[in-house]
Amino acid sequence: MRRLAYLAAGGMLWSLSVLAFANVPIGAVVENVSLPTLAGVPQNLLGDTNVSIFIFLNPELSHSNQALAQIAACEKEMSGKPVHWSAVVSDRIPRSKVEAEVKAAGITMPVLIDQGDALYGKFGVVLHPVVGITDQNRKLIAYQPFAKVNYGAVIRAQILHALKEITDDELAQVLKPTAAVLGGEASVAHRFLRLAEKQFQTKNYNQALTNIQKSLGKNPTASAHSLRGQILAAQGKSPEAAAAFEAALKLEPKNSAALEGIKVAKETAK
Amino acid sequence: MSQPANILDNGRKSIARNHRQSLSCSGISAAIVGLLLLACGYAAMAADAKKEESTPVAKMRKNDLTPIPDLQKPVSAHSPYQDGDCSLCHQNKDRTNPGAIIKQVNALCLDCHDDFGKVMARKFSHAAARVNCVSCHNPHNAKQPKLLVEESGALCLSCHTAISNLVTNAKVKHDALTSDAKCMNCHNPHAANVEHLLIRLPFDLCVGCHGKDGIKDQDGKVLTNMKKLLAENPEQHGPVAGKDCSACHTPHGGNNFRLLTKEYPAQFYSPYDPKLYDLCFDCHEASVVKDPKTTTLTKFRNGDQNLHFVHVNKDERGRTCRACHEVHASKQKHQIRDAVPYGKTGYMLKVNFTQTATGGSCAQTCHLTRSYTNSVVPVAPKKTDTELPKSP
Repeated sequence: MRRLAYLAAGGMLWSLSVLAFANVPIGAVVENVSLPTLAGVPQNLLGDTNVSIFIFLNPELSHSNQALAQIAACEKEMSGKPVHWSAVVSDRIPRSKVEAEVKAAGITMPVLIDQGDALYGKFGVVLHPVVGITDQNRKLIAYQPFAKVNYGAVIRAQILHALKEITDDELAQVLKPTAAVLGGEASVAHRFLRLAEKQFQTKNYNQALTNIQKSLGKNPTASAHSLRGQILAAQGKSPEAAAAFEAALKLEPKNSAALEGIKVAKETAK
Repeated sequence: MSQPANILDNGRKSIARNHRQSLSCSGISAAIVGLLLLACGYAAMAADAKKEESTPVAKMRKNDLTPIPDLQKPVSAHSPYQDGDCSLCHQNKDRTNPGAIIKQVNALCLDCHDDFGKVMARKFSHAAARVNCVSCHNPHNAKQPKLLVEESGALCLSCHTAISNLVTNAKVKHDALTSDAKCMNCHNPHAANVEHLLIRLPFDLCVGCHGKDGIKDQDGKVLTNMKKLLAENPEQHGPVAGKDCSACHTPHGGNNFRLLTKEYPAQFYSPYDPKLYDLCFDCHEASVVKDPKTTTLTKFRNGDQNLHFVHVNKDERGRTCRACHEVHASKQKHQIRDAVPYGKTGYMLKVNFTQTATGGSCAQTCHLTRSYTNSVVPVAPKKTDTELPKSP
């Protein structure tokens, strides 16, 4: 099952890795450029840090602003890490709009103004918001379009993976999270086991036996067989208890409660 | 026959009194609850609670948790209650006077339901479950399965009022909310690894139903089997490849056809109005159909003549996005359709688009065969004599 999960996660990584900018595929070296910024001083798209992250966005659109808020949180969280951040907006967007949205989101990264959509054209950006991540050699290592669900978590994981702070498996777990299915028979069986344990402790043997039978009916584990043995032994039913302990040992030969129990049950039965 | 009922009812009143006392701990301040949760190994959950500022803890349900008399035919019963083992949770064994509970509610539940420690450690957890299991469950018995205090859909919507309003008022309904497990078709009410307590990523949930043949919408129209469509069409739209159906569809109901989050032209032809394209332009640059000339916004251009503008931006018979693009997936790049529906009979007209190294062409169907060029193929420089391999 574990192997299958890894394969599935690998598949997910592959399917996302084939997504990329129209003109800059994953693995291509990104040419650094210096552009004027909202603050006035020209800034580079990429830094000399281990990782550079840039986001193309249009603050006139809701998806961009939802993304911006989540990226602002990432930027704040990762402030001490060797990551260079920049945002890119088209010079067609009214400056006042860009300033308002940047202020509302609380990002501190430079906002580069793309004059005449030159950078958009160079990358072949066809949608926004979209994030690109490059490594220290300025090679594009991740491309992430916006998603309504788990976006912040994915961006965070992509950066941490680029910084080598999380493994491939940990990234895969974020990109393809384990399904959170409800309960199941094993879970119900476990609860009956726990209840039977409590009833055994309070010497309510009959109820304990009823509930451990329910547990065994749903998921026959060594622990459940062993507890049944203990209950039967407490009721003075040594032969049945010995049989229950044997059933536990068949499933788990080193089950200490069953090993101890079977010894006592056999001696008592003599 | 009435006597046993009276005894039960008296017992119920007595239990109610004791419950009011014992459950007074569930009404204590959030700070104290927080400390108790930490003491019970709930540190991760408490941290999560801090993160989710919108958590309606103050609005947490206060339920009547008294046992339901047998005459009212409870559907589910908690084993310790059914076994008459009151002292597993209460101070006394006496069913008519059980006394206060012996621990804080959730700590008590986790004594037996200890597998929930792992469940609640997932990345996202439900405030109602974090704070108090009895927000949703009656620890004795209930008229609903799983000891739920109310029918599951109604229970969720009693707190999630915005969703409730949406579900009630939406013109376009989603069957997933009213069939089978209702909210729990998609959400785990305790905790999950995906935002919004989703059991899986949106796409993986959606294809659970929309990956089958014969699914119909509320008007009886047969919906596409998405699994089959995607298996046959490798060129997928970004949100589809990113497993994010919710980028374009609103799962709880809405006012646009096909549960689209924003407006999208339902017809093949439509006068150009930016409002009609709200859905597409939330991600795609609107200038791609606004600007008659470009060399950067699109490769669908002849030189600098923007062919998206030419096709879409018309006062009358503007071609909408769907005239040429499949919205989910296609066999051709850029989700270009193989064919478009023509007339009312459903006749499919071939698009015959061909991509070339310098642009592309569409063969005669909608119009005469036309081609476009968006770039120049770089010509390899002729090798000079000095570069030619020397003869042996």
